Amino acid sequence: MTAVRRSVGTIVVALIASLFLLFIVAPVVGLVSSGGARGLATLASDRELLASLWLTIATATIATVLGMLGGTPIAYLLARRTFRGRAVVAALMDLPLVIPHPVAGIALLLVLGRASPIGAALYQAGLRVAGSSTGIVCAMLFVSAPLYVSAAREAFARVDARYESVARTLGDDAWRAFRRVTLPLSARGLTAAAVVMWARAISEFGAIVILTYNPKVVSVLSYDRFTSYGMSEALPVAAVLVLFALVPLAALRALRAGEPVVSS
Amino acid sequence: MISLQHVSARAGRFELTDVSFDVPQGTYGIVIGPAGAGKTTLLETIAGVARATAGRILLGGEDMTAEPPERRRLGIVYQHAYLFPHLTVRQNVEYGAATGDDVDDVSARFGVDALAGRSVESLSGGERQLVAIARALARRPEVLLLDEPFSALDPRTRNVVRRVLRTVYYERRFTVLQVTHDFSEAGLLGDVAIMLDRGRVVQQGDPAEVFRKPASAYIADFLGAENVFAGTAQPIRSEAPDWVAGHADDFAQYAVAFTTGALTFYALGDVVPGPTHAVIRAEEISLSAEPATSSVQNQFRGTIIEIVPAGALSRVTVDVSGTPIVAAVTARSVRELGLRAGAEVVAGFKATAVHLC
Amino acid sequence: MLGILADTLLVYVAASLTRPIQPVLEAFSARTGIVVQRESGASLEHVRKITELHRIPDLLLLADVEVFPQLLVPKYSTWYAEFARNRMVVAYTKRSKHANEINRDNWTEVLRRGDVEVGRTDPDLAPVGYRTLIMLKLAERFYKKPGLAKSLISAASERNIRPNAAELAALLAAGELDYIYDYQSVAESNGFSYIALPDEINLGDARRAREYSTASVRVRGPTRGSETEFKGEPILYGLSVPREAPHPDAAARFLAYLTSPEVINQLRAAHVDMLDHPVVVGTGAPAELR
Repeated sequence: MTAVRRSVGTIVVALIASLFLLFIVAPVVGLVSSGGARGLATLASDRELLASLWLTIATATIATVLGMLGGTPIAYLLARRTFRGRAVVAALMDLPLVIPHPVAGIALLLVLGRASPIGAALYQAGLRVAGSSTGIVCAMLFVSAPLYVSAAREAFARVDARYESVARTLGDDAWRAFRRVTLPLSARGLTAAAVVMWARAISEFGAIVILTYNPKVVSVLSYDRFTSYGMSEALPVAAVLVLFALVPLAALRALRAGEPVVSS
Repeated sequence: MISLQHVSARAGRFELTDVSFDVPQGTYGIVIGPAGAGKTTLLETIAGVARATAGRILLGGEDMTAEPPERRRLGIVYQHAYLFPHLTVRQNVEYGAATGDDVDDVSARFGVDALAGRSVESLSGGERQLVAIARALARRPEVLLLDEPFSALDPRTRNVVRRVLRTVYYERRFTVLQVTHDFSEAGLLGDVAIMLDRGRVVQQGDPAEVFRKPASAYIADFLGAENVFAGTAQPIRSEAPDWVAGHADDFAQYAVAFTTGALTFYALGDVVPGPTHAVIRAEEISLSAEPATSSVQNQFRGTIIEIVPAGALSRVTVDVSGTPIVAAVTARSVRELGLRAGAEVVAGFKATAVHLC
Repeated sequence: MLGILADTLLVYVAASLTRPIQPVLEAFSARTGIVVQRESGASLEHVRKITELHRIPDLLLLADVEVFPQLLVPKYSTWYAEFARNRMVVAYTKRSKHANEINRDNWTEVLRRGDVEVGRTDPDLAPVGYRTLIMLKLAERFYKKPGLAKSLISAASERNIRPNAAELAALLAAGELDYIYDYQSVAESNGFSYIALPDEINLGDARRAREYSTASVRVRGPTRGSETEFKGEPILYGLSVPREAPHPDAAARFLAYLTSPEVINQLRAAHVDMLDHPVVVGTGAPAELR
């Protein structure tokens, strides 16, 4: 009797899994097959799209580097130290994830816009935030950094703190122990976290478009093309975006494949 | 030396409260206590990995309470080796060492030089612990902290590792503090025994004293042995008495003569010749009017000093040539043998009942 | 089923009209019990939703009446009606640089100063965008300053362009911009100060239609690589009920409400320059409009 129940259970699970996979894959396949290929052929001659791609990649990469520089210490502290208010800090770090994207853009404008104290100072120094690639980087950083921090925190937590303790007794100060032991052991996890952040930055639209409409990143361009010309012109851009999504996915797979087990 | 003065600390769920003890320079200290007593927290507090919330920690006479771990000149070996997985064996051993010679020397002593280029995951449990100890000692620390370093090893490996460590200890005479939940696992009783329970020191002092006069029934129960003798052990392979002949070869290999005071008894064990302790549980000592002819290798005549009834068993203390031996005997046997203070009796126990540590 | 359908009204509204029309929509909903769903955005966005996504609304209220004959009639709708006027202004706030200095006579000079941030709408996306360009061309002729249009356009640089009028207004309100080219209705409903431009150039006077048509701009056309030419015309808001509107009865009821004297006065008070009667072009408009 239980054998039957077990196989029914397996079938149900397999069915649900297949349907879900189909739900995810079908729109993408549909996109690429309906004229996406034709669009790719004209890619090389589409100056506007090429410029937009380059801008998107550059800003996402800068945002990711900044996110790693700023987010790694926070992730480490959250993983290692128990301090009062740790839960609050962790929750605050997750806030950008729950804010609707245009709202995030408006919030950034309030703090970094010309009329704010910080923004005014930046403006005086010649650094425009809104309407520039700086604004794009800020929006990307804001919405995607939480993903990096929580994944990096996981990566650090997976490295037993005792390795650091041993390194300390062997003569390393806290920074050296981090550099020689924790960092190498968590490197793969941190890289995967950065890839996730990068992928998120590339695909952002709502927060970016509030701060910076021109110059256009690919997501803004694709919406612009759709609004101006309709579906047929938006498809090549969309297809290119899909191909771009494959890059971080492939990177993540390669990283996960070689993950070492660090328990003792 | 290690000196703790009213030290309190907390690490997660484990707490230490008002812990004070001294382990003199170059001596071997043992911390014994049940699981959850805070033994690892104690070591980590001494190492500076956990922060002391009160009290002072002196190492080598200097106040190290505020010092970070890297300045305390100590080494720590955990139950699991915690070898750095991304480094080779040699890179692990040389991690904190000052010179390459130190690394070569300690690698040779612990027999891990042959493993130099190997990756950590390819090692066996025993090999890992050896590398971990070599790594700690390559730095020539003044204090070595051991957190049940042998408990994850199988008995044979345990003996090997224990022996090598003890040899190096005798040579270099650093101060050791070893933590254990079972004194027999520790392999030796050391020079200072500290009983830790629920974060407090409940008794400390000379191991023989602690064992013989446990401060509470709880400790007595925990230790589970009333007969503890300090003496000298000597392997007696070639001069094995006749009871060894006819037994398996490895039996012969481990025959030991243990001398304490005026007594010598036979034991089995893999020991380094020299000072050691012998522990015998009272239940393993039998009393009879005449010597038995069976396989009991140790038999002594003595005089009963006292009899203390304790439930179904009575504890009978017998004076044998000046050394008291405690036997646990049923009340019925007491009646049948007519045991009373002042009576003559033969106390006997097997060589296997003598636990050398 | 039909009973449920009759209870909803889907309206696509031009961004610049959103703020004044919202209370009207709410009052209508309260009065009739019809649930009103409003979607705001640039005119071209709305057109694409209809032509590409087939999301047909019950009512379209757009900022540029030209969009109807160009893109929607006759395929999606058989008629449209002009219902309100508007004119171009230069809007600003008291935080704007040189706010206490600027006036009707010197605005072309102030807006070209190096420390001033001037914004405009994307001409490829929204009518107010290309009307700005047309207005500037008319200004060049009116003020007799050759090259004025070009220098004013480059003063409102690419990075200060936004896809629709409402977003532009938001940036001015946030202090990110000093001056914007926008509709008078938007300026008034946001409480901005503004420079009232001369009737010769502000595209607001129906009698000057011929004058206005002497200036034109080319913007991106409906297909890639193509261009469309827009001639200067008086700014008129237009509305229509598409052929395939799911709730045409509800739409007709709303139109009756919208054109009632009470609502016309309300909208005028909200700075929408309503015509006394809508002017219908084409056939098939509901009786409520005639």
